[in-house]
Amino acid sequence: MIYQEIKERFDYRTALVALGLMTIGLVSVYSATYDARAADIFHKQVLWAVVGFVALGAIAAVPFRLLQLVSYPAYFLSILMLVAVLLLGRTVSGSESWFSIGQVRLQPAEFSKIATVLALATYLSRSDVSLRKVKYLAVAAGIVLLPVALIMMQPDTGTALIFFGMFFPVLFWGGASRFTLVAIVAPVGTAVAALFGTTAFLTAVLVFGVLIYLTREHRIVAAAVFSLTVLVGVSTQFIYEGLKHYQQKRIATFLDPNADPLGAGYNILQSKVAIGSGGFFGKGYLHGSQTQLNFIPEQWTDFIFCVPGEEFGFLGAAIVLLLLMALLIRGVTIASAAKNRYGGFVAVGLTAIFATHICLNIGMSIGLLPVIGVPLPFLSYGGSALLSAMTMVGILMNLHAHRKEY
Amino acid sequence: MAEQDDITIYGRRRTLYAVIALMFLVFFARLFQLQMIYSEEYGKKSEENSIRTIPREPVRGYIYDRNGTMVVDNRPAFTVTIMPFEFDKRMIGELSRLLALDPEFIRDRLKKGEAYSRFAPVKIKRDIDFRTLAALEENRDRLPGVDYHVESKRWYTTRALASHTLGYTKEISESQIKLQMDAYAPGDVVGSSGLEARYEQTLRGQKGAEFSTVNVRGQVIGKFENGKDDIPAVEGDDLILTMDFGLQAFAESLMTGRTGAFVAIDPSDGGILAMVSKPDYELSAFSGVTPPDVWRALNDDPASPLFNRATLTRYPPGSTFKMLVAIAGLETGALTPSWHVTCGGSFRFGNKVFKDLHVHGTMDLVSAIQHSCNVYFYQAMLRTGLDAWAHYGEEFGFGRLTGIDIYEENPGLLPTTAYMDKRYGPNGWTRGFLVSLGIGQGEVGVTPLQMACYAAALATKGEYRQPHVARAIVTKSPRTVDTLRFQTRHIEVSEKTWDIVREGMRRVVEEPGGTGGMARVPGVVSAGKTGTAQNPHGPDHAWYVGFAPFDHPKIAVAMLLENAGFGGTQSAPLAGLCIERYLYGRIIRYDAPPPAPRKPVPFPQALPPLHATLER
Repeated sequence: MIYQEIKERFDYRTALVALGLMTIGLVSVYSATYDARAADIFHKQVLWAVVGFVALGAIAAVPFRLLQLVSYPAYFLSILMLVAVLLLGRTVSGSESWFSIGQVRLQPAEFSKIATVLALATYLSRSDVSLRKVKYLAVAAGIVLLPVALIMMQPDTGTALIFFGMFFPVLFWGGASRFTLVAIVAPVGTAVAALFGTTAFLTAVLVFGVLIYLTREHRIVAAAVFSLTVLVGVSTQFIYEGLKHYQQKRIATFLDPNADPLGAGYNILQSKVAIGSGGFFGKGYLHGSQTQLNFIPEQWTDFIFCVPGEEFGFLGAAIVLLLLMALLIRGVTIASAAKNRYGGFVAVGLTAIFATHICLNIGMSIGLLPVIGVPLPFLSYGGSALLSAMTMVGILMNLHAHRKEY
Repeated sequence: MAEQDDITIYGRRRTLYAVIALMFLVFFARLFQLQMIYSEEYGKKSEENSIRTIPREPVRGYIYDRNGTMVVDNRPAFTVTIMPFEFDKRMIGELSRLLALDPEFIRDRLKKGEAYSRFAPVKIKRDIDFRTLAALEENRDRLPGVDYHVESKRWYTTRALASHTLGYTKEISESQIKLQMDAYAPGDVVGSSGLEARYEQTLRGQKGAEFSTVNVRGQVIGKFENGKDDIPAVEGDDLILTMDFGLQAFAESLMTGRTGAFVAIDPSDGGILAMVSKPDYELSAFSGVTPPDVWRALNDDPASPLFNRATLTRYPPGSTFKMLVAIAGLETGALTPSWHVTCGGSFRFGNKVFKDLHVHGTMDLVSAIQHSCNVYFYQAMLRTGLDAWAHYGEEFGFGRLTGIDIYEENPGLLPTTAYMDKRYGPNGWTRGFLVSLGIGQGEVGVTPLQMACYAAALATKGEYRQPHVARAIVTKSPRTVDTLRFQTRHIEVSEKTWDIVREGMRRVVEEPGGTGGMARVPGVVSAGKTGTAQNPHGPDHAWYVGFAPFDHPKIAVAMLLENAGFGGTQSAPLAGLCIERYLYGRIIRYDAPPPAPRKPVPFPQALPPLHATLER
């Protein structure tokens, strides 16, 4: 009976995936820091892993209603913390994003991601809220944009992007109209395409034009959105011209990392070299020359994927990717299994956060995306990131356990 | 309502699954591309990153002459290098002052080197002196990435220059690197002329390499895999030449201040005994750094000292070609030994008068050669005809490359009917043209090397041996001596014809009235032929070809002195001295009584001792 109960409520699949990623993460961090500093960084990460598991267990076990109850308070607390960190935070590599409590440093932005999902889910699950109405849509956007604005002031573009990556799937899950979704994506997509040149820009305009037409929205509204899309695309090129040289260079480096192998493109190139040189079987644990000789700066943080990629080759990298994919699949499954709307929104939001992290980080490591500093969940070194990832898995497991509650 | 919700939820779930699947599909595709398709390329890049390769230059092979005397040696020289990625470009000014170099030169070298590899040292200056070395050592801390290596440079040990034959070594040019990217790197020394160029692969040896592991800042962490992959440099193989550097030095000194060429061949095997081209130059000017002004001076000198006159000139052979007319005439039956001509000092053909130097009176073939009677050969040529003459000209190797083992060679020009028809049209030339050819004048061009081969073929009664300078290659490990093989070709000419023509040549030198009496060597019967080639640009060119001893020839020579006048008075005496120097080992004509000719040292005993490897 108790066994049945445990089997019914304990999401061992998600737990195993998290445990597997955690293990690979520790192994990778150990390799990436395998020199004089190893002891310090690796031991800290082990400590955070232990703390993370405790948090995961605790959060998975708390009553489901409690989560819903703390949603808004947690959100307001996170906003307060973001304001506070702007006023008295300490600067780490150019951005004010850290709190120090004795030896322990915390990143409020990590906490804020989760709190925002909880608050957004609470708001959207209200029976009177409909994403078909502009009023509610605006409030939902406001809930997301407030922390984003504060985080952008730090500035931390990477984390700010995560919020957008989270918001879009939540809107989709909440039943926003296709037109709403296209209207959000079109300007952003066109702006990015414009950077690649006129052909890409025109293609994007054409594609989004067709998509907007297919949504069968009222002509005037559709035309307005389409004009906005074109305007954003055109102005992107003007903005690019007006950018400072180093900013242009950053974008150019993204478009062609080989153009400046020792400048901004260095990391991407070295990361690709590390992964590519791993081949199928890899160079062997602690034998990756790129990793061991520190060719990739701060590899234990954002470029941690290079370690399994180089030392364990395609095999190792594929295992990491499969585990990450399993995590996302579990998240979506949990979302769809939840009988209450709140649970569904939270699960989709958290999964989208994971997905955006994975997309930006892996995409960067394998040279498909520009260098945007976001950690890879479970693998990258960093207490706050690890703790928040564990918390998110804890919440997902909690939602699984209480999936049948309305 | 709930059911409706379920359906939409499952639809959305499917969409999200699809998005996730798509994202990972892209990731897997990219991983596959990086790790399976391009893994080799990235592997190479990763090695380039972390493994520093320091090339180890091989010691170039030594060169010995036929007597085992080392003629080209190596000396250690310090070369300054810059490791591009360690070097602070702000220090270029300072470095240029230390090395007395143009800062632009250093910048340029650095840029080119960087384009090749940022992790390979770029050679900035070769062969620095000890004062510079000390200054460099003093400032080492302030000049990161600047280093020096011991290399070897060519060192010429004998009094002879042999500039054109030995050839010089030079830093490889960019275009040469592009041709053979794998084998050479910028700053490498490569044989650029003469034997150094022809036997580059033999002499060069193989570059070695030492591998070190470096971190991202380029600091050497240690030897890569304990140096087990290091490749030791393989010393180049040695060359043994057929040349006699005693004779070479002697001939060079005889020709000091003259312009011309001298080639001596061992008729028994075609080996070059000496090859001089004047004016010449000091090869050592190229062994370390060649200052641009020195290079420019050599290149711009109107006397063209870099030009190998022994193999590249194309002068009419003059009367030295009369044996060819005689052989062609006798072999085709156009001439007989008894056929004779009365020489009145000139010959009228058509409305043109062809002159002779003297009134020779009645001449048969042998005496016509002896006295170099032009009137006889004008008519002999008309009887023989162009085709027979050209045929035997080709047999004696004219109009084509001799195949000597240096790259600088000119085939010369031997006119044939086909050539004349092509050049002037089938009716555009007349037999008057033949008259001049009869005495080796007009549209015919030969090199002194071809003339020496011609003399050697006359000496051996038709054994035309491919001339060559290198006799054998001595490999270092295992130590073997590989004798080089060259071709021999027999010229079909009857014994009788040989005897007649050679008798004429003997009389040229040995009998009173012969034009080459000044080539006489005491105690040896010698044969030869003088030539005085008219030249529209100035005084005549003086030729002499010959061989000795008459019965068992050991040396065949060709001597050309540009614008010197008569072959008999200018070239013949110098050629005679050279023959004497070779046959006796020294000049004996002032001795009393003359000693017996020495025996040349047979080849295998002349093997040089294994030279001690250059100290590093």
